[in-house]
Amino acid sequence: MRILTVTLFALMFAMGAVARPKDEAPQYKTAEAKHFTTAEGVELSPAFVDYFYAELRNELTKAKLVKEVIGEGEAVEDAEAPKSLVISGTVVEYKKGSVVKSALIGFGAGFRSLKMDADVVRRSDKQNLCVIHVHVKIDPRWNEKIMAKGAAHEMVKEMKKALADGSKTVSTEATKPS
Amino acid sequence: MPLRGTLNLSIAFLSLGAFSGVAIQSAQADEPKPKPENTITILPGEPVAPQKFERSPKFWIVDITDRSGNPQPLLVMKERGGVFLDKQPTAIVKDALEQSLKAANLLASDAASADLVLRVYVFHFGLASGSLLDFFGKVEFSTMVKNPKTGESLEVKAVGTSIANGAMRKKNMQKNVEENIEGALRDATRNFLRGTQLKEAVASLSKSEVVPAAAPIPAEPMKPQPR
Repeated sequence: MRILTVTLFALMFAMGAVARPKDEAPQYKTAEAKHFTTAEGVELSPAFVDYFYAELRNELTKAKLVKEVIGEGEAVEDAEAPKSLVISGTVVEYKKGSVVKSALIGFGAGFRSLKMDADVVRRSDKQNLCVIHVHVKIDPRWNEKIMAKGAAHEMVKEMKKALADGSKTVSTEATKPS
Repeated sequence: MPLRGTLNLSIAFLSLGAFSGVAIQSAQADEPKPKPENTITILPGEPVAPQKFERSPKFWIVDITDRSGNPQPLLVMKERGGVFLDKQPTAIVKDALEQSLKAANLLASDAASADLVLRVYVFHFGLASGSLLDFFGKVEFSTMVKNPKTGESLEVKAVGTSIANGAMRKKNMQKNVEENIEGALRDATRNFLRGTQLKEAVASLSKSEVVPAAAPIPAEPMKPQPR
């Protein structure tokens, strides 16, 4: 019994030691998310871009990628600029999908599809830290805002990975809800 | 025969009128009414620390106008019995801006002593259309920053957003909506006070004030006229 208790305590300490690096202070101080632009021919409502902006900021805060997520056009102190990120991007392609195809064929046919590109640059010297390509697919019966939610989540996940690895270009494809 | 036709027509009109009356009455019954239990209070929370200006100007909010075009500005949510604000959005935004300016000692005591006067136009206050899984709060306003001495003015835009979780129980839903709008308001206040647009406007309006007037041309000495 005593051996079991000691083993349990040892395991708990080991798990704590493994979990500690997660609580480390973020590498970057601030991140400014900008409203994404839409490429020509993309038929999305202006409310989508607004909602995606809010959702991206929400995901950045949740991911603890940076110390503070600031709004678009907010000033940053000069000393903090080298440790600050600016995220901008474009909605490259949007396909409405088809409920009929989705219902008759299934297996992802007729899904709504959204492709987005994002650039993450350092504020001080405008150096491109990484480029992220996100492709999200959802059921055509779902609201387009759910697609924004999924895209923001995927984008921040890939951004976190790319900034940690130091990789320049990341592409991801996701079907929501995953 | 024509009398019968007129009678039929009259009956049709009367029944149509009666049905539309019933429809209007039922629609009015569905319309949510403000009650103490469905009214929320939006508090500005902690004051936002503004950015540092080269020369700290004193601001004064001279006027705040609702430009949202919303016929019911107090109603933030129509579903589930409605959620109402206890104050007009314009009053809430004014309180939030004044509180932050006052905390940073940037609020003038009156309009006459202000270096820059602000005229605020509120475009959106409350919930915006989001995914049906959560609440999307949005506060958007535009401010005309005017130097009363020179009469010059510049526009500064600010937007604040917030996303809060949805809720099943009405009490939780009201709490989440309240927190969500408070978050969006704080975000918009911060976006305004720490924005580069305000910094540039203050710098530009102050610069135009300190530019010295054209130096007077020295009078030339009178030359003797030849006779």
